[in-house]
Amino acid sequence: MAFSDLREFITMLEKSGDLVRIKKEVDWDMEVGAISRRVFEQAGPALLFEKIKDYPPGYAILNGPVATWRRVALALGLPPNSSVRQIYAAYEERRDKKIKPVVVKAAPCQENVMTGSEVDIYRLPAPMVHDGDGGRYVGTWDIVITKDPETGWINWGMYRFMTHTQNLLTGWPQATSQLAMMMKSRYLPLNRPMPIAIVAGCESLCHMVATDPFKPGENEVEYAGGLRGAPVDLVQCKTQDLMVPAHAEIVMEGEVLPDKIAHEGPFGEYPGYRSGTMSEGVLVQLTAITHRTNPILTLSTLGVPPDDSSIAASLTAAIAMKRGLQRRGVPVREVYVPPEGVTHLIVVSVERGGSRVARQVLDFFTARRVMVSKVIVVDKDLDPFDMNQVIHAFATKCHPAKGITVEHYEGRANALTPCFSADERRRLKGASVVFDATWPEDWEEESIPVKSSFETTYRDAVKEKVLANWESYGLGGKS
Amino acid sequence: MKREYVTFVRRLSDLSEGKRALFIKDLTPGPRKYDTKLVRAELSRDAARLPDGDTLWIRSETGRLQPQPWSMKVLEELPPYVPGQPWQDVFTSLRHLG
Ligand SMILES: Cc1cc2nc3c(=O)[nH]c(=O)nc-3n(C[C@H](O)[C@H](O)[C@H](O)COP(=O)(O)O)c2cc1C
Repeated sequence: MAFSDLREFITMLEKSGDLVRIKKEVDWDMEVGAISRRVFEQAGPALLFEKIKDYPPGYAILNGPVATWRRVALALGLPPNSSVRQIYAAYEERRDKKIKPVVVKAAPCQENVMTGSEVDIYRLPAPMVHDGDGGRYVGTWDIVITKDPETGWINWGMYRFMTHTQNLLTGWPQATSQLAMMMKSRYLPLNRPMPIAIVAGCESLCHMVATDPFKPGENEVEYAGGLRGAPVDLVQCKTQDLMVPAHAEIVMEGEVLPDKIAHEGPFGEYPGYRSGTMSEGVLVQLTAITHRTNPILTLSTLGVPPDDSSIAASLTAAIAMKRGLQRRGVPVREVYVPPEGVTHLIVVSVERGGSRVARQVLDFFTARRVMVSKVIVVDKDLDPFDMNQVIHAFATKCHPAKGITVEHYEGRANALTPCFSADERRRLKGASVVFDATWPEDWEEESIPVKSSFETTYRDAVKEKVLANWESYGLGGKS
Repeated sequence: MKREYVTFVRRLSDLSEGKRALFIKDLTPGPRKYDTKLVRAELSRDAARLPDGDTLWIRSETGRLQPQPWSMKVLEELPPYVPGQPWQDVFTSLRHLG
């Protein structure tokens, strides 16, 4: 069952006990952020702030729509107690399906329209999220829509956007993002502005698709339809030649300027630090703001895990990585992106390991823009979703000299990786490492150490007897 | 009444006294707090040197606050952007403005 909009999803979260409505007035200036951050750090519920200082009653902020596995499961229509592996499997199974969107004439997202001199971003309760951020971030959990004028490809991405003045936003799609690729190849050479729509408050699968690095040329809206099992309703923007989700809460229409720039950032980012990327982004001239009556601004108060980025976006990244590794011929079984590793640390489980496979894995992760800095490759004898087992394999099977391969690069590193120096971050210079925690392919079977675990060291007859008698040993119910 | 503003610099040591162009964010409470302006202003560490100046807080690229604010007298307000292409360094462009 697909949620038709964010409001239906909110109702469901409330019913399942995964959302709290905060009715007490809160200040958009840091208080919303501080409450949200503390609740994230307690793996708590989604928060709907219903009374925001300086703003009309009914204007709301929703923090953390999919920041727990329970909420991701609910967004996918699964039972809330589904395991992480089950959630991954459901996303993977649906990810390749495409359903074309439906174009509608009238849309809730255009119930209220500001154009021309009426455009005023300060009429929306954009929060000052963290103390020390460069400004008020109106785009944190958003969908940013741009179009390739030659091929008609429409990209959906999730990128941060900050209020600059009443009708200007600055933002930071990384210089390696698909938005940047489109701007640099299609608009900058002609010195033309690029139409853009920054959308907040859709049902969660649309936002999750925006975090999924689908290949250039793929229309994410069709994948959003596939994931939902129902088409996304789209409506024509009021002032730009772009289509936006009709049931969105808020749409900011505008143009990325080709010849003007302004201050942007810094922002407390998904790796859990404010690592200092600043004033190397884009400037957007707003041409319209449209919104539902009583709009709900979606927010993800990013920082140390868990949050929507380290949970929901780790899932979309993992499945995309698995697909990419398969395309490269890597004998990959599963990819797990542990939330604690904030998409910097990846676990890749392979059918058969060895240094050649580890090298292939590293080549995949460093071929284009590099978002990942550490990859652990593990054999199939362990559960890659169980970090206890992963750390055990890493500690014992990764050879400190021969099992570690480093790749250096420049011009495509992740500018937010905290361990890179300020200079490296500016030059997009970095390195990634693969830890090969698999047995070398040239070791003879007889010399491979035998794992001492219940599962691997006893014959079936002994295991069956022990399991059958478990209760009679006085060790409690079924093992 | 003195107004309060904040500006961001790559490194705290980048900021020098005297006249220069800079982006400032207005810290006056209310729904328009943090609105940004590009101004040409005179800056001084010493509030006594700019008796009719406003307060300027300074933050670094990682958002760290310098404990002591400076004093700032706005000489001219400019359009709130600088020339440059997306992803270019705003500070380089600001320096060219003088
Ligand atoms: C909460 C959140 C915020 C994000 N913010 C940014 C951002 O500001 N800039 C950026 O380049 N990527 C950001 N990302 C990552 C992109 O959404 C991701 O790389 C996505 O694939 C981008 O779309 P693209 O592949 O079409 O470029 C963010 C992801 C999440 C989950």
